[in-house]
Amino acid sequence: MVLVLYGTEVSAPVRAVLLTLRALELDYEFQEVDLTAGDHLKPDYVSKNPQHTVPTLQDGGAYIWDSHAIMGYLVQKYAKDDALYPREPLQRAIVDQRLHFESGALSVRWKQLKHLLFEEKVTELPIEKLHETYALLELFLDGHEYMAGDQLTIADFSIVTSVSTAHLSIAPVDATKYPNLSAWLTRISSLSFYEQANSTGARRMAELVRAKLPKQFDKLWQKAFEDIKSGAGKM
Amino acid sequence: MGKITLYGVDASPPVRACKLTLAALGLPYDYVVVNLMGKENLSEAYLKKNPQHTVPMLEDDGACIWDSHAIICYLVSKYAKDDSLYPKDLLKRAVVDQRLHFESGVMFANALRSITAPIFMHGSKMVPKERIQAIIEVYDFLETFLKDHDYIAGDHLTIADFSVVSAVTSLPVFLEIDAAKYVKLTAWIKRLEKLPYYSENSVGVQQFFGLIKSLGVTVEA
Repeated sequence: MVLVLYGTEVSAPVRAVLLTLRALELDYEFQEVDLTAGDHLKPDYVSKNPQHTVPTLQDGGAYIWDSHAIMGYLVQKYAKDDALYPREPLQRAIVDQRLHFESGALSVRWKQLKHLLFEEKVTELPIEKLHETYALLELFLDGHEYMAGDQLTIADFSIVTSVSTAHLSIAPVDATKYPNLSAWLTRISSLSFYEQANSTGARRMAELVRAKLPKQFDKLWQKAFEDIKSGAGKM
Repeated sequence: MGKITLYGVDASPPVRACKLTLAALGLPYDYVVVNLMGKENLSEAYLKKNPQHTVPMLEDDGACIWDSHAIICYLVSKYAKDDSLYPKDLLKRAVVDQRLHFESGVMFANALRSITAPIFMHGSKMVPKERIQAIIEVYDFLETFLKDHDYIAGDHLTIADFSVVSAVTSLPVFLEIDAAKYVKLTAWIKRLEKLPYYSENSVGVQQFFGLIKSLGVTVEA
């Protein structure tokens, strides 16, 4: 069994799969796909993943893409129990809803903000939409320690990657405004494998974002940059 | 089996994905129309069940589930006689899951909702050109996914077909599907139209088209 993960660590969905692989203690090879160089658009990559996104997982002779599909596949195939992706239909439905919230709301908003920043080079970012998302995540966590209930699941891995990147750059999670979300972020970032699987990549992406940040975020930028340098909160 | 209640409106594509699935499974259910224009989804009662205040929402014997994809996966897992609509084989399932997330992100959020949110929430009457590009991207990818297969996730009908068809048949009100360019996509839609319960989608599509047209929305040339 040879697992190969194609991607780049600045990408949030790639990091979600890295968190899952580490949580399952699986051996894998990492194949760097340089998006800025257009590696993902080359025929060899497109033949594996016609949607030409990252991450893509190779398991033996099969190729799977979409981080959420990959994470579900890995747990169902390799985990010793179903804790990370419960088999019971109702519990699973909650995890699935959180995963689709990530792909439909969180991910799309984050991508739209990145597009404005990197492609359209705007000087003001509409981060209200991100805050709307934070507000919903705050509600999902009401009465629970994890995104989909009382135990860690792939929903936590999926959501933490883009939230941590936004937290380190344009929209820090204010603990007074979002106490549940802030506590959850600290909780997830304390996992033993978090540093390697998510932290490094999130910080790299955050630096790229902050390098483009409009002047209005100067103070925010300063604080966030200091947080990064000091490694504050392990985030 | 407890009582199943589906909350939604026919015009909504994800509600139609649930209706198609319920019909495919032959499951009886109560249908409660949610008055979205009247902000019924923001009522205390609704928010208690679904803090994200979206439709569709499913109640099954007291338990509340939302997000159409989570709902349809749940329904097959709990009630189907076999796994054909949502294969247990992990590789086949991964393809269905990828298509479902493609529908969530690329189709519903990025293509459809990015257009309808300004229309329904801010009274916008003009669809900007960039949003049309997002629709073309959808049609292009679906044509690719269907290249070697009769159904969206492989050689058999799955819930991915229900999810994707509900959204893709709603997009033509903004950009028609060019049958000469999208041969596979057009053939696949026609294939699904033959399903005996397809009216669970087509009726709502007409309502959605009617709604958009009645608002006088045009596309930037």
